[in-house]
Amino acid sequence: MRLTTAGSAWNFAGEIVGRLTADNLPQPVRGEYIRFFGQGAAQVGDLAGYRAVLSHDDFLTDLPKVDRLRESDHFRSADVVVLDGATGFVRSLYRPYEQHHSLFVTERCSSNCLMCSQPPKDKDDVETLATRNRELIKLIDPALPYLTITGGEPTLLGDHLFRLIDQLKTSLPNTELHILTNGRTFAWPGYAQRLAALNHPNLCLGVPLYSDFPGEHDYVVQAKGAFDQTVAGLHQAARNGIRVEIRIVLHRLTIPRLVRLAEFIYRNLSFVEHVALMGLEYVGYTPRNIGELWIDPFDYQSELEKTVRYLSVRNLSVSIYNHQLCILRPSLWQYARKSISDWKNIYLTECQSCGVLEECGGLFKWGVKKHSEYIHALPHSS
Amino acid sequence: MARSFYPPEAFSPRPSQFFLLPFRFTRFNDQELLVNEAGEFLLAPKGTARGLVDGTIDTTSALYKDLKAKHFAYDDTSSPLLDVLATKIRTKYDHLDGGTKLHIFVVTLRCEHSCHYCQVSRQTASKDEFDMSRETADRSISLMFDSPASHVTLELQGGEPLLAFEMIQYIVSGAKEQAEVRRKTLNLVVTTNLACATDEMLLYFRDEGVKVSTSLDGPAFLHNKNRPRPGNDSYERAIDGIERSRVILGYDNVAALMTTTSTSLDHVKEIIDEYVRREFHTIFLRPISPYGFAVKTKTRTGYEIEKFLDFYKQGLSYILEINRSGYRLSEIYAQILLSKILTPHGTGYVDLQSPAGEAWNVLVYNYNGDVFASDESRMLAEMQDWTFRLGNVHRDTRHSLFTSEAALNMFEASCNQSLAGCSDCAFQPYCGADPIYHHATQGDMYGHRPTSGFCTRNMEVIKHLFSFIEKDDPLTMGIFWSWLTGGPVPTEGLQCA
Amino acid sequence: MEQQRESSLPHKTTASLRISNEVVSVDALLKTCYWFSRDFFCDVQKDGPGFSLVSLKRKDSSPIQMEELRDTFMNHALDFALRERVTAKTADIRDILLAKAFSESGVLEDRPEGVFGDPIEEAKSDGMFKILGNS
Repeated sequence: MRLTTAGSAWNFAGEIVGRLTADNLPQPVRGEYIRFFGQGAAQVGDLAGYRAVLSHDDFLTDLPKVDRLRESDHFRSADVVVLDGATGFVRSLYRPYEQHHSLFVTERCSSNCLMCSQPPKDKDDVETLATRNRELIKLIDPALPYLTITGGEPTLLGDHLFRLIDQLKTSLPNTELHILTNGRTFAWPGYAQRLAALNHPNLCLGVPLYSDFPGEHDYVVQAKGAFDQTVAGLHQAARNGIRVEIRIVLHRLTIPRLVRLAEFIYRNLSFVEHVALMGLEYVGYTPRNIGELWIDPFDYQSELEKTVRYLSVRNLSVSIYNHQLCILRPSLWQYARKSISDWKNIYLTECQSCGVLEECGGLFKWGVKKHSEYIHALPHSS
Repeated sequence: MARSFYPPEAFSPRPSQFFLLPFRFTRFNDQELLVNEAGEFLLAPKGTARGLVDGTIDTTSALYKDLKAKHFAYDDTSSPLLDVLATKIRTKYDHLDGGTKLHIFVVTLRCEHSCHYCQVSRQTASKDEFDMSRETADRSISLMFDSPASHVTLELQGGEPLLAFEMIQYIVSGAKEQAEVRRKTLNLVVTTNLACATDEMLLYFRDEGVKVSTSLDGPAFLHNKNRPRPGNDSYERAIDGIERSRVILGYDNVAALMTTTSTSLDHVKEIIDEYVRREFHTIFLRPISPYGFAVKTKTRTGYEIEKFLDFYKQGLSYILEINRSGYRLSEIYAQILLSKILTPHGTGYVDLQSPAGEAWNVLVYNYNGDVFASDESRMLAEMQDWTFRLGNVHRDTRHSLFTSEAALNMFEASCNQSLAGCSDCAFQPYCGADPIYHHATQGDMYGHRPTSGFCTRNMEVIKHLFSFIEKDDPLTMGIFWSWLTGGPVPTEGLQCA
Repeated sequence: MEQQRESSLPHKTTASLRISNEVVSVDALLKTCYWFSRDFFCDVQKDGPGFSLVSLKRKDSSPIQMEELRDTFMNHALDFALRERVTAKTADIRDILLAKAFSESGVLEDRPEGVFGDPIEEAKSDGMFKILGNS
């Protein structure tokens, strides 16, 4: 499912965020909308009040516009998009019909994980994205149950992050926020307190930890001292009443000490409310480092099962993300979640005849290039 | 421009040396058991302790990584995470937080039973002689709420407290009133043999939120032998009382404890069967009380400890079998020790705390206002041994109770961290100190560890539990964890999770 | 190390061990004897500079046989000697740990070390986070 496309931008500078409509709307309500014309759609002249025009074909107007789109069949009414006046890029930010939603806040990061799916860029995009997200939040349905804040490293936003969370507290008071962060910033005194002081009623941090041995964790995230900072940060967060979950990406560097890591979490981070065990994404840095990272998920089922049992027997909530049911041991199926964001979720041809297709989370779309050798359709029985 | 990647050596250079964090150790079967300052353990190959001290452990080995992760060693390539370790230590001392939580009120010494092991009851006595007076009750309640704890438990005991039912009503009402004024949460329990419990009394307990704790020593022959009363029907009355209490108060508000006597030692399976038959899901295989008559015949102590250990191990084995068949039955002594060994949490069980729970965590207010550090010390007083009487509610304040000579002497002997034999013991974080026990059995509050029944018993049970941990059978460990978490009991055939 | 004297023949109930205090200190010997005192009458005497003489007399109740006594005693004594060394090496840090454990939260917190890792923030003179240590 496409996220970006491009066309020709006219009549505006900077970015415009708006909600798409393919229908004619009465003038008083047009203020939040971008009028969208698909391929071959009949053009209309009465456009006053819309934020912009988005058109597959050539379009004549004085309004801000992006026309001559490369692709447009992925757009639907109610999608929220951002138009770039300099480049003509059109990025989809929010699609109400999807299961998973996130706010992307920066490409900067203080780590450089070997398997990063969103490799950091050292350019300061914080202001631009803060403005973009501020507009986006105004257009999100307040009934949204769950929103992820991700990057890069969100805490690098400094005050912008606090303002963002504050805005979310007011505009989407019933939405649970999940901030994906390496947790390292929380080691600095006062940071956790500032976040806690915002008093958001429903916020949880998702923090990766890859080993109980500092050198190994630091190597995976490519940052010296990261383990120490993350552990200290987790403690500061907990002490300030901030909820925390741990995320572990499973690959050849994290599998050998996985059970020991679970032990470390249980004894040293006992406040953690959930542990997510995640399959590797073949995107971003991963293909480049695949020689070191690749282990067929089928081959680590024993360690995975031991780890899951270790945690669940101690009443720690645990989930398995991004794994297909055919390669998981049946005892682990109850922990598997359909976790892959809609726009990157696919199934293979052999999956179509699988008896548990409905229950299975499928693969990442880049998984066609690299996935377990053991993927196979399961019989229609249980 | 993308950033560069650096090799593993950049992040874990081989350290030139490593340093030690405090730990204790002991030989354990063919291995060594190392225990750190927060009570976390590691089963390691023989020679690990020496390797740590001599600095010869290979810093690239998996063993070294384990030692580092579990806070036995650190080096200058990463932080020793002292704050994390300190937090874990602090958690283990949670029981110190807030002061005395359990307050036992002896409302009367009168009792119609004449149990062998009881020192205190009076069979034929008038109300005035051995019942708590209203003045004493008022003062005791006031002192109870002087405790800094925000949650206090008031346990009504005796003798047989139901014989002084009106005093119970007076105390409950007074305590609830004060709880509101002093803004504390009050839990109420009555410890009774239920032999003279009427439905009216049970309804009262239900309405006032008082939980019932009673005694069930085993099947009829054993229970009645331990607990003679006129008519020799203690058991039948107890069962009847339990059934009626469950109906009126609800299953969760009725608990049973057993007293282990020398007769009990030969009948562990029957005792356990009785608990299952009566649909209890917890049982406490408590050690034989050394107080009272038993103390006077010290020569039997060693033999009795051995017999108790057999009793315990057989009992635990049988209990595990019962759990495997799908019936949940947790053994409390094991559960307390396993909680200390396997979890990061502290413990609320006063008999296994260091500093000892006596006085810190429990106070006993006798019918006459005398305040004792524990129930056992009250029994010693019956034999004219006043060593652990802290004072009297009519004369003392909480401050003067806790700074009395009795209290101060006891506190000195209360920390196993500094007791001879305990200070080096690998099991120190799992064990406790019991100055009152040692005073009663050895004539010395500090105790002589090698001949101490408290030490032998705890050491043996802890070693026994470690042998299960070492074996790591998933089903057995799964059962233990279900006790610790309250989760469902795993059964044969359920292989994982 | 230690010289052994021929006084622990199987039918005897006493044994003596001459032990170098470089290997096991007097304190460690006393601790060992403390534990053995359940089953043995124990005595520790100075036996020339740097040596102790440990005398053990078996009580009837002892489950330890005389043949194994020497080895058993030495094993325990060496363990106590090792414990002494552990205590010596960790006494200071134990004090720090306990002080931290029982202090008000935050009073003795260590500052985080290591680099921050985000070049943009690091380059700012008024950056959000001061770099406190370096790798």
